[in-house]
Amino acid sequence: MKKFLIVLTIVLFWAGQCLAADLIIFSGAGLMKPMEELKKNFESVHHVKAEVHYGGSGEIFAMVGAGQPCDVLIPGAEKYTQDALKNGWVKKNTIHNMVRHIPVIAVPKGNPAKIRGLEDLARSGVRVAIGDPKAPAIGRVAKQMLEKNKLWNSVTPNISVYAPTVNQLLIYVALKQVDASIIWGDMVVWAEGKGKLDVVRIPENKNIIQTIPTAVCTKAPHKDIALKFNNYISSPEGLAVWKKWGYEPCGK
Amino acid sequence: MREVAIKHRAMRINVFKVVLIFITSFITVLLVLAIAALFMVPDIKDVWESLKSDEMIYSLKLSLWTGFLSTVLVTIFSLPIGYSLSRFQFFGKGFIKTIIDLPVAFPELVLGLCLLLLFGNTFIGKIFDSLGFQFIFTKQGIVVAQFFTALPYASRIMKSTFDYVDPKMEFVSRSLGYSMFETFRNVSLPLARNGILAATVIAFARCIGTFGTVLILAGGTYMKTEVLPITLYLNISYGNMGMALTSGIVLMIVSFMAIYVFERTEAAL
Repeated sequence: MKKFLIVLTIVLFWAGQCLAADLIIFSGAGLMKPMEELKKNFESVHHVKAEVHYGGSGEIFAMVGAGQPCDVLIPGAEKYTQDALKNGWVKKNTIHNMVRHIPVIAVPKGNPAKIRGLEDLARSGVRVAIGDPKAPAIGRVAKQMLEKNKLWNSVTPNISVYAPTVNQLLIYVALKQVDASIIWGDMVVWAEGKGKLDVVRIPENKNIIQTIPTAVCTKAPHKDIALKFNNYISSPEGLAVWKKWGYEPCGK
Repeated sequence: MREVAIKHRAMRINVFKVVLIFITSFITVLLVLAIAALFMVPDIKDVWESLKSDEMIYSLKLSLWTGFLSTVLVTIFSLPIGYSLSRFQFFGKGFIKTIIDLPVAFPELVLGLCLLLLFGNTFIGKIFDSLGFQFIFTKQGIVVAQFFTALPYASRIMKSTFDYVDPKMEFVSRSLGYSMFETFRNVSLPLARNGILAATVIAFARCIGTFGTVLILAGGTYMKTEVLPITLYLNISYGNMGMALTSGIVLMIVSFMAIYVFERTEAAL
């Protein structure tokens, strides 16, 4: 009995230890690969435990708004950080624009529907997947881009799914369930390299290129360490990691 | 001396009992608080407005009719599965049992991915396609996703129900000259009535609550393949907590009713 109680106490204590973090980061779900590496590097240098919560940009934005403890906010598009600044959730002097987030058209290996540009998405019979315009940042950007090119109304009938998460888009393209999807270029670098899908670039004048900003929250529970992390990921050393995963540094 | 020993033992049993009851009540209290929070946090007016919104009405209707359809299908299929696993000995029974039970331990997302692969580009997908069934990004896909998620739960309950039905009753019926099917219809089925009802109720609750499988297979598109758990998730993404909490409350009420009916029928068993 006593042993059992001791074990139980240890387990509970250990579980509590595991959950306690020295740094809480909210990150757009699409940024998972570089974020994991940055987090690991930072942890080993500073001997801290960082916890990254991944979610759709709208989702993590709302969570900060709902008062969830968060130190560093890294959404998939600048708009969210600007809105957070307007609401007084992040500190202005901590905002750094780090890398460019470039939307591309992802198509299944071999490009079965012969997609060459945005216009082809409007061709009849083409199956298109885009992110839900209200959920992940890429959904909103895709819609804006199609509207900017006056294609939204002709593409809508072809959209077979509005996915609530970015990762779904990748699965559907890789499994040939759609002919094309508008998705972040950096997200497909890995899959393209593995030969799962092909990428069709969108010319800059037709594209809407986002920048990924980082910022420290005003109510950050671990301010000092948050500032250090914020500076690290936007430093040349941090940008090298971003670059490795296919992101283009902004260059100030 | 002996008395002391007995007393000592009684004490120990007491400590054991107290600790166990403490753990049970501690977790229960936490759960009750968590459920209560879902009902206490949102504004009543907000919930009411959300309930009346087009999105919620659409999602509720879609959830109910896909849920009913899937439940009917689950019942039709889990009845023979449960009965054969309970009554018959045949080659590969252990294997079949494991495979049918597998989705209980499967994460829904994995199940969704498997179904997406199966109905995607394989000949099985093509066969269904030529029969007019398209499961990917469609409402039919929601039913398929719910069906496979709920089936193992229902089959398990069906099997244990028939395990409790005395085979002697069936022997008597057979010895009086009734065929296997007549016996099944007139003896086994009526005896298993409560278990079948319980399986149906659990299947319905499971169908309504299926998230991951539906998300992957049917896509989770706003106002198209949007069932209640998808509404919950989408509105968390939109940052619309009122809608998210309302769908949570509706889901919770459905589960409560299901569990209530389940416990009642189980008690009657």
